[in-house]
Amino acid sequence: MQIAIASGKGGVGKSSVAASLIYLLKDGYSLIAVDADADAPNLHLLFGVERWEEKREIIGAKIAKINSETCIKCGICAERCPYDCIKLVDGVYKVNELTCEGCGVCKLVCPVEGVITLEEVRSGIIQKTTTKYGFPLISAQLDVGRPNSGKLVTEEKEWAKRIMKEEGIEHMIVDSAAGIGCQVIASLGGADVAILVAEPTPASLSDVKRVYKVVQHFREPAYLIINKADLNPEFKGLYEFAEEEGIPIIGEIPYDRAVPKSMAMLKPVVEAFPESKASKALREIAEVVKEQILR
Amino acid sequence: MQIAVSGGKGGTGKSTVAVNLAIALRGYFDLALADLDVEAPNDHILLGVELQNEEPVNMFMPRFNYSKCIKCRKCAEVCEENAIITMKDGTPFLMPTLCSGCRACEIVCPVTGAILEGQKLIGHTYITETPYEFSLVTGKLLEGEERAMPIVTAAKRRARSLNKELLLVDTAAGTSNTVSKALEDSKLLIAVTEPTPLGLHDLALILELARLMNIEAWVVINRSDLGEKEGIEKIAQKYNAEIVAEIPYSEAIIRSYVKGEPIVLADSKEAEIFKDLAEKIANYMG
Ligand code: SF4
Ligand code: SF4
Ligand code: SF4
Ligand code: SF4
Repeated sequence: MQIAIASGKGGVGKSSVAASLIYLLKDGYSLIAVDADADAPNLHLLFGVERWEEKREIIGAKIAKINSETCIKCGICAERCPYDCIKLVDGVYKVNELTCEGCGVCKLVCPVEGVITLEEVRSGIIQKTTTKYGFPLISAQLDVGRPNSGKLVTEEKEWAKRIMKEEGIEHMIVDSAAGIGCQVIASLGGADVAILVAEPTPASLSDVKRVYKVVQHFREPAYLIINKADLNPEFKGLYEFAEEEGIPIIGEIPYDRAVPKSMAMLKPVVEAFPESKASKALREIAEVVKEQILR
Repeated sequence: MQIAVSGGKGGTGKSTVAVNLAIALRGYFDLALADLDVEAPNDHILLGVELQNEEPVNMFMPRFNYSKCIKCRKCAEVCEENAIITMKDGTPFLMPTLCSGCRACEIVCPVTGAILEGQKLIGHTYITETPYEFSLVTGKLLEGEERAMPIVTAAKRRARSLNKELLLVDTAAGTSNTVSKALEDSKLLIAVTEPTPLGLHDLALILELARLMNIEAWVVINRSDLGEKEGIEKIAQKYNAEIVAEIPYSEAIIRSYVKGEPIVLADSKEAEIFKDLAEKIANYMG
């Protein structure tokens, strides 16, 4: 089974919830963890990973380059680039390699043959390790300024699937990126179940609603966890949303300073402070996950 | 002039800093705030305003006129996204979810009228008047759409058209090319981070991006009493980035966040931090 954990918004504690759930499920179930937040991966930090067993470079991004020697400075490329990536800098037309999407339009419209070339560059790396807890973890890191992070996530999941086959692993737990863009779509695509994590703030509600629309698009069953649940008792928005959409709330985790402390210690809170309020709530959630989702 | 507020990971308090800084900076500049975190735009929520002046962002999508198409396959060959597949006889078909709207296919098609203009709505931009004497420009990606870049580009164009003395840009998390697009043309980057190993890792990446883009970077440490600051200091030093403010963990900030009432307006020590920072920025920007 493939479970994707998503939140829409960053900072609501999705990764720390994911790390704790993975920690609690690892004993009874064979699983592989996939960190699909290629922009800011952090599961490896939360699991205290010190070295990677295997790394793969993912080539795939393309970047346009202008040969300033042969360029006649007509400016057509700059005018036609759909994303305003070409500018006249000190008298020469230059592609901003950190914003180029690699679509190739500039090359097509350039009147002089061969001035603009599209070059393949690395979009990032994906890497694998076996955590000290025994289960494998796959993580990605997008290179600075590169597009196409969805592709990294797709590659990660392919790799995870191969490992699952080879090692007879049953479950994949994907910690998806914040937002609703290509990385999140790649994370949710193909999942059997989505677990949404939100906190009781208007911003988090707005974002979890947005990611839920993506979940609906894939017709996946969704569950909701309310993190920092006692932060804002007057705020009922999350309950109303869950009620309206028929999304089961599988747990509420109180705000607990043990959580940031455990993160600083590079451990899931359920391991670092098993008796904390947050850990108790997380253990209850893990039981619900076992009964209702993994069965 | 433009300055940007960014931070590696989501949830470090980037939007809180952006919104409060915008309010603190209005005394120095005629400004606009642009929320370019198009996947999860929240500045309007923090400011307690409803988005206004909606404009659609439509993306080009080829539509084939099969009575004119000569099945030469050129469109499929040129498409970097492999969004066009061809049948055995060369008849092209579009896979809409892969198309990025770049128009490369339209440009290479040798037959006028074989590729027609199709459009797909992928998001919106907004210009919202705030009660704080500045306008908020927001880009918002439609749910289910993957391509953030055209929304960021469109929102940035719209923000520029306001012709303000200062544009304050709030970027998405991370360091992908949509973040670079948001940062582009900034004179200063304010990187918001937390003193945790996660914060550290992400701060290094965003400072690296600033270095590659030749943008002066300053660091704001949020929840500064939470962990070890030495790591942050080291990275800041390595990138020549000055640590300009420290915001201790604060219940008052969380409450203001929840209520949509910016903390800088309250009579509090947190407010002073933002006011001092605004003054420092104003001096730097000249
Ligand atoms: S490849 Fe596309 S995005 Fe890059 S510079 Fe050329 S036209 Fe612009
Ligand atoms: S279109 Fe070609 S020749 Fe014209 S400015 Fe661009 S690179 Fe130079
Ligand atoms: S617009 Fe660009 S991405 Fe879309 S089909 Fe044409 S070439 Fe491919
Ligand atoms: S390039 Fe134009 S004529 Fe050729 S297959 Fe595509 S649509 Fe048809």
